[in-house]
Amino acid sequence: MEASTIIYSTAAVIGTIIVAFIISIWLPGIERKFVQARIQQRIGPPISSPGIMAPLKFFFKETINPNSPLPRLYNALPLGGIIIVFFILLFLIPEMYFLGALTSIIAIVGLLKIEEVIYVFMGSFSRSIMSLSMPFPDIIKGAAHPDIKRSFLEDLSSLRAFRLIAFGSFPLYIALFVPVAMAGSIFLGDIVLYQQLNGPVLFSVAGILGAIVFFIGYMILLNEYPFAILKTKADVIEGPYMEYAAKYRSYTYLTRGFLMFTLSALFSVLFLGIPPNILSWGILVNILVAILFPILSAIMSAFSPIFTFKQFYPVAAGVSILGVLAILATFV
Amino acid sequence: MDGKKKSSGQNVIETEITMGPVHPAALEPYRVRLFVEDEIVKDAEITVGVNHRGIERIMEGLPVEKANSLTEKICGICSNVHIWNSVMVAEKGLEIEIPERASYIRVIMGELERLHSHLLYLAHGNEVLGHETFAMRIFYIRETVMELLRMIGGNRVQYGVSIIGGVRPRCELDEMRIQKIKEGMDFIEEKVAEFADRFVSDPMVMSRITGVCPIPKKEALRLAVSGPTLRATGVDMDLRRDMECYDPFDFDVITLEGGDVKANLLMRVLEIPESVKIIRQAIKNLPGGPITDRTWEMQDTGVIKSYVEAARGRLYHSYRLEDDRVRGSIVRTPSMSNIGAMQYACIGHHITDAQLGIVQCDPCFTCTDRAIQIIKL
Repeated sequence: MEASTIIYSTAAVIGTIIVAFIISIWLPGIERKFVQARIQQRIGPPISSPGIMAPLKFFFKETINPNSPLPRLYNALPLGGIIIVFFILLFLIPEMYFLGALTSIIAIVGLLKIEEVIYVFMGSFSRSIMSLSMPFPDIIKGAAHPDIKRSFLEDLSSLRAFRLIAFGSFPLYIALFVPVAMAGSIFLGDIVLYQQLNGPVLFSVAGILGAIVFFIGYMILLNEYPFAILKTKADVIEGPYMEYAAKYRSYTYLTRGFLMFTLSALFSVLFLGIPPNILSWGILVNILVAILFPILSAIMSAFSPIFTFKQFYPVAAGVSILGVLAILATFV
Repeated sequence: MDGKKKSSGQNVIETEITMGPVHPAALEPYRVRLFVEDEIVKDAEITVGVNHRGIERIMEGLPVEKANSLTEKICGICSNVHIWNSVMVAEKGLEIEIPERASYIRVIMGELERLHSHLLYLAHGNEVLGHETFAMRIFYIRETVMELLRMIGGNRVQYGVSIIGGVRPRCELDEMRIQKIKEGMDFIEEKVAEFADRFVSDPMVMSRITGVCPIPKKEALRLAVSGPTLRATGVDMDLRRDMECYDPFDFDVITLEGGDVKANLLMRVLEIPESVKIIRQAIKNLPGGPITDRTWEMQDTGVIKSYVEAARGRLYHSYRLEDDRVRGSIVRTPSMSNIGAMQYACIGHHITDAQLGIVQCDPCFTCTDRAIQIIKL
C-alpha cells in the first residue's frame, strides 16, 4: 500500500471519529432543548448542558467508591461501553472495510450485544444505598414480611436488561438484516456497493418498513421514553447507572451521545449506502441523520407514557413482525 | 379483582423491593416495601414517619390564633383548608357567626385550592406515567390558579386567609380581583377541557391507566377511603353537601365506577368544572358587608370537632380551649385514611404501576406525618 493511501485512510478514520464525537456531544442537547422543551412549552436546559457541560462537570468531580461488590469492574464498564461504540463506528468507516469479517453485520450485531450485556453487569454490580442499605425501623417494628430476601432496584434493572437482550432489541437486529437480504451479503462494503449501483435500500418498500423497525429498535437500545424500562423513573430510577459518580458518570453520558451518532451512521450505511467518511460530502448526510433521529425520537417520547411490559411486549412483537415482513418484502 | 385474591400475608413471596424514603417518583419522603414475584406486587407496606414535625405537640398551650396559623404549616398543598378547619373549630366552640361575605371568600379560596390540588395531582400522575408533556401542560394551567391564590392571599403556598371571625382584611375581593378570577376561570375551563379531550383520546395513556390498580367500592368502604379517591369507586360522598358555607351553591358531586387509575385521574378532571362553577356562583352572588367579626370573646370550651372536605378527602381538626390556650389538638388528614387503599391498590399489579397505584390515592405524606406510635419492645 502506498504511503499516501495510508495517510489518506488514517486521516479519514481519525477525522471521522473526531467529527462523530463532536456531533455526538451536541445530540442530547438538541433532543432536550429544541424538541422536548419546545413541545412541553418550557425553556429547557442550555443546548450544551446535557451532552457537554454535564460530562465536563462530572469529569472534574471527586470520584467516590461505588457501593458495589466489584467496584473496579463496575467503574470500568462505561469505559468498556464507549470502546465498543468506538469500534462499531470504526468498522462503519469505508477505509476499514479491508478488515473483512469485522466489518460485517454479524460483527456489528455481536458488538451491540456486548453493549447490551454491559447493562446487565452494571445492574447486577450496583448496590445503591437508595434501595437497600438504608437502615429503617420498619423491619423491627412488626413488618408484615420481616424475613423476605431483599433486592436492589438495580437487580430489577439487570433482569430487565436480560429481557431486552432476549426480545426487546429484536426489532433492531431484524432491521439490520433487511439490507443484508437485499444486497445478498453480510459485508458492509458489499451493502454500500449494492446501494451505489441500485439506489438506497430506503427507497424500496422493504427499506421503508426496515427503516421504521430500525428506528423503533434505535429507541429501545437507547432506552428512550417510552421504552425506558431499564431506568424508569417510576420504579428503578437510574437503573444500572445509579452508582456511577464523577468521571464514570461522565463516560456514561458520553457513551449515550456517541451511541446515538453511531446508530445513525449505521442507518446511513445500511439504508442509504452512505458510510461516514470525513473526506466525503456524504458525512453531511450522516450528520443530518444523526440529528434527525434524536429529533424524531424526542417527538415520540414527548407524546407517550412509559411502557410497562404490558405495552412493551406487543410493541416489540408487532415491530419485529413488521421487520420480518420487511425481509420477506426484499424477495418480492 | 376481589378482596380475597388481593389479601396480604402470602407465604410465597420471591423478593422485596424497597423504594424510599427518597425516590424521584415520590414528591415526599415515605417508604414503600413492595413484595414481588416476577415484578408483580404480591403485597405492599407503606411507612411514614420520616417527616414528623410534631405540630400538634407544638400547638399545645399556644394562643388559639397562633395555633391556627401553625396548622397552615402542616401542608404545602392544602394549607388553606387546614387553617380554615382549625379556625372553624374555634368558631364552633365560641359560637361565632362569621359574615356572609367572609364565608363566600373562604369558599372561593377553598375551591381555588381544590383546583390547584387537582391540577397538581393530574400533573404528578402524568409524570409518574412518564408523560412529561401532559405534566408540563397541566403545570402551565395550574400556574393561573397559583397566581390567583397569590393575588388573594399574598403567597403562592401559605395564604393566611381565614382568621377567627372571618377572613383577613387584606384578602378582601375588590373589582379588579374579581375580574381576574373571572378571567382565570374562563382560561382554566377552556384549557382543562382541551386537556381532557386529548387525554382520553390518547390510546397509549389509556392503555397504561385503564384497569390498573382498581379499588372496588366495597374495599374502599372497608379501608375508610375518603375524598375523590372514594368517589372514583362509585361512592357518592362529599362533605361539602353537609357544610353550611356550601349551602348557597349549586354543584354536582361526581362519582365514577372502577376506582382504577383512569377513574381517579378522570375524577379530578371532572371535579375541576364543578369547582369553577362554585367559584363563578360565589363571585356572582358575593354579598356586601364586612368580612370580619371581631366582637367575639374567648372562653373555655370542651373538645370541639370539625370536618371539612379538603381536596384530597375528609380533614379532621379538634381541640379544646382552656385559658385562651389550645389543648389536646388532633389533626387527621385525608391521606391517613387513604394509606390502606394505596397498599391495596398496588397488589396484583406490575411494579412499574405500583407508584401509579399509590399516586392515584393522592397521597400527602408530609401532611400525614403527625401521629407517632410508640411500641414498647
